[in-house]
Formats: sequence, structure tokens, C-alpha cells
Amino acid sequence: MSKVRFAGISKAFGAVNALLPTDLDIPQGEFLTLLGPSGSGKTTLLNICAGYLPPSAGRLVVGGRDVTALPPRLRNMGMVFQNFALFPHLSVARNVAYGLEVRRLSRDEIARRVTDVLRMTRLDGYGDRAIRELSGGQQQRVALARAMVIQPDILLMDEPLGALDRQLRKEVQFEIRRLHAARPRTTIYVTHDQEEALVMSDRIAVMRAGRIVQIGSGADLYERPVDTFVARFLGESNLLAGTVGTIADGRASLAIAGLAEPLEGRAADGLRAGGPAAALLRPEMVRAHAGGFEARVAERVYLGELVAVRLTLASGHELWSRRLASEWSGRDVVEVGWDAGAISILPDASYES
Amino acid sequence: MMSRLALNGFVALVAAFLVLPILAIVPAAFSAQSFIRLPPETWSLRWWGAFFHDPSWRLTLFTSLKVATLTTLFAVIAGTAAALGIARSGPRGRALLTGLFLGPVVTPAIVLAVALYSMARATGLVGTATALVIAHTMLALPFVVLNVGVSLDGLDRRLLLAAAGLGAGSLHVFRTVTLPLIAPGVVGGAVFAFVTSFDEVVLSIFLAGPTVKTLPVRIWEEIRLEYTPVVAVGATVMLVLALSAAGAHRLLTRKAR
Repeated sequence: MSKVRFAGISKAFGAVNALLPTDLDIPQGEFLTLLGPSGSGKTTLLNICAGYLPPSAGRLVVGGRDVTALPPRLRNMGMVFQNFALFPHLSVARNVAYGLEVRRLSRDEIARRVTDVLRMTRLDGYGDRAIRELSGGQQQRVALARAMVIQPDILLMDEPLGALDRQLRKEVQFEIRRLHAARPRTTIYVTHDQEEALVMSDRIAVMRAGRIVQIGSGADLYERPVDTFVARFLGESNLLAGTVGTIADGRASLAIAGLAEPLEGRAADGLRAGGPAAALLRPEMVRAHAGGFEARVAERVYLGELVAVRLTLASGHELWSRRLASEWSGRDVVEVGWDAGAISILPDASYES
Repeated sequence: MMSRLALNGFVALVAAFLVLPILAIVPAAFSAQSFIRLPPETWSLRWWGAFFHDPSWRLTLFTSLKVATLTTLFAVIAGTAAALGIARSGPRGRALLTGLFLGPVVTPAIVLAVALYSMARATGLVGTATALVIAHTMLALPFVVLNVGVSLDGLDRRLLLAAAGLGAGSLHVFRTVTLPLIAPGVVGGAVFAFVTSFDEVVLSIFLAGPTVKTLPVRIWEEIRLEYTPVVAVGATVMLVLALSAAGAHRLLTRKAR
């Protein structure tokens, strides 16, 4: 369990920059998720951390020790692979014991730690099973047990739930959360699934095109995204494109074609008066409001406890609303509004190179 | 229904075509007469006695087994190492190296024989077991490279990364992960190597000498002198050993799976 520092770490494959120079500090015991679409550099960053990929530049420091040049076997990191990479010719217990046997621990110590970790991952009694006899969820837990039992300085996970079905993914998310809470261990978790990121992480780093776009708690990212990319990637969003009017005191106004009044909201960094930007309005903020904008209900999607409604404004703009089902029942023409703090004005990520 | 019958008949014919020569030689080994005639008119084990009581036949059998065992040993070690090297090289090197290692298979045996004979003469190795082992290893190597190569292709590289990540050095990874998982390929290669050597006749005729002679070479010489059923016994012994090797392979690889 150690503080981890990436200092100017980058990776280029030929002319392709998989990872631009990246600085990242991870405090001891933190669960950090790298969240991003494929090709965003998140797995590259993870593999550099594990030592499977040498960085093109930069240094990696773990617990005060520069490990940049160390081979994977000397790094003491526990990796959980996407498809688990369990040794098919070894039993569950032998898989878990592998890293301990390499470390030449005594037989008793190995047996004790294997039993411990199998109990912790709710695999007691499965030690003698062959890997192929296990379900996907059980294999996932063996992979986790094998990585944790060596008491790694950092636990690395590369989309470890990708191979599981939806119900199981949910269960394992909470399992990992519980294990992390019981024994906090510096963890770097890679995923493209926002729900996984939100459920498990202390902090989330959203990546795009080889760099970290924003890093913060789930609430930070959801409530104060730095641009439209982060807004789209975390949660549902209504984005209305327009032109920035005034910027003052952390607030900005945005003129939107077809709307009589500009929208006003929290200003993100990087706005330029007269430049293009977008207003972010989360669907759960769009509610029925007497005296608000007149809108027509164009579509209703039943989501169980919620209903998603597509609203068409008189200006032609469309807004999605996600509210309790009762709020939009019955009527086809409604008046909609939102609280004053509901809107953020964000730079439009699609204008970036 | 008719077409099905016709198909079955055709398959039976092909099978007979493949198996008949074997079925012909085995009964001949149990003949009581002094010449090979099919089917034998009277049966006995006299030629088996002749084969196993004759020190020169026994010596050739022993030589064959010794050469085949040594060949297997060298071919498996060198072939496995080569396959590992090929698997690690880039796509271009891979094609080149594979072609190189398969060379002895596509080279006509007689060309190899002439080449090896001249080299053996130059080094004074003609008529030695050493020459036979070297020549047979050349022929057997490609089978090991191929078999192990196929196993390596099926090996998930992430298992090796996982083992290294857990702290294992490359030798430990090889011993505990790579080798157990490619074992079926290694065993298959070993069986092919053994049978290749045991069965080899062209190179062996060139390289064998009066005291160092393999069983197929002796059978070849015997046939040209006198055509007695002892030749059939020799052939049957070879057949049994080859079938045992194939059977052992099946048994071992099934266990591995």
C-alpha cells in the first residue's frame, strides 16, 4: 500500500501517441478508476504501471522508490486481467498460492494465507477445484484472490468485470467495494463503464485521446464536468449548443439560437466570450414548472421507478427529462423549467483537436 | 440410402488399401516355411526364435532403439527451444525461421543423404551411431518445432504476464506455466521424432556401417540376400513399436487435457 506518482509518463507507438505526458498522484489506499472509451490510453497507463509496457518518457515512483526500470516481477503489484488469465492447469488453491510460492514462504504460511483470502473472497471449499469447473463470477474472484494474496503495493484491475453478465457485474462491484473498504489498498481500476466507476471509486480520472481530461470524485465529475465530453461520459445529459455572452464571477451566459433569453449558469474553465460552448442540463433537473417553457411530449420511455420523457420546445430544441413517473403522466403539452443552479456552461469538447 | 451404402463401401476400400500391406506382413512372420507366401500354409514361431536368438538382429534392434532415443532427446530439446524462439520473433522472422526449420522435411531424402554422407566421410563419422543420431535429429527436428509451435500458438500470453507479475522469473515461468501447458505438443513432437528415427532408411543406408546398423537397414539388406520370414518378423517388430508410440501419445495427451 503506497503512494503512487506518475511523473510525465508518456507512451508512443511509432507516430501514435497512446499516452501524452501525464502527471498523476495517487494517495495511499485510494481506489482510483481510469474511465474512458477504448483508445483513450487508460489500459496503456495501467500496463506501464504494472511494468508490462515501458514508458517512452517519464518516471513512476511507488512509495518513494523509482520503479520505472524494474521488470514486472520485482514491482510487487497485483494484476487482475480482463479475462482473468488464471492458470488452467492448476487448482484454485495453487493459482492463489502461485505468487506466495515464488516468494518462498513456508508451507504453513502459504496455506494460512490462501485459506484466509479464499474465505475473504467467499471461495472457501473451492481450493481443490479445477479452474474450468468454476463459473465466470467464481473465476473473477479467484483472479482477485490471486492478486490480493501477495499483499501488493498496488492492486491493478483491467476491466475485470467485462466478461461477466450484468447481474453478476453488479454483485462483484459491491464485493470489490466491500473488500476495499475492509482493507484499503492503493488500487487502479480501468473501465469504460461509468456505473462501475461511480460505485467503487474514491476518485475517477476521465481519459480521452491519451490524456486525463478531469480527475475528481464522482460528484465532482457529475456536477462540475470540465467539458461536454466528461458531461456525456458520466451520466445522461442535455447539451444545448450556443455562443458565450458574458463571463463573470464564475458564471456565464450562453445565447442559444431560437431562445429569446440567453441561458445562464456556472461557468467552466476555458470559456471565451463570443466562442462556442454548450449548456449542460441533467435530465433529472428538467421538471414540470408552471410558467416555464412550453413543450410538447414527443416520447415517453418507461424505466421502472422513473420515466424518461423527450420534450420538444417551441424553439425546436429537444430536452430529455427523467423524473418520477407521476410527474409527466397524462398531458401532452406541458410547461417545463429548472432550478437556477441546474445549468453549467461548458467548453464544447468536439471543437478541441 | 443407396448413396450412403456406396459411401461406406468406398471408405471401406480406402481403409483396406491403407491396412492391407500391414495385414499381409504380420501373418508372414508366423509362417513355418522358409519363404514368404501368403497366407502361410503352416504356422509357427520359428522365425521369431530366429530373430531374437540371432545376436546380429538383436544388435540392430538395440542400435535402432538407442539411436531413436538419443534422436528424440536432442530433437525435443533443440526443437522446443527453436519453437520458443520462433514464437518470440516478429512476423517476418517467424516466416523465415519456420521455413528454415522445415527445410529437412521438404528436401528430398536422397539429397540430404548425399550431403550428409560426404560430410560424414570428411569427419570420419561414417558407420558410427553419432552420424545416425545427427542425421535423424535433423529429420526429426521439424516435427518437434511444428508440434510445439502449435501448442505455443494456443498459449495465452497473458498467463506469462500474470506469472511474471506475481513475481516469477522467466525460468520459473517456463517451468511452472509454459512447459505444463505445451506438454501435449512436446510429447507429440517426441513421438514423431522417435518414430521418424526408428523408421528412417534412406539416410541410414548411407551412414550405417558393418557394426552400426539400424533395423530397417538390416531388413533392406536381408531382403536382397534371402527373402525369409525373418524379414517379416523384423517388420512386425517395427510395426508394434510404432503403434505403441502412437498409443502412448494418445494416452499421455488425453491425461494432459
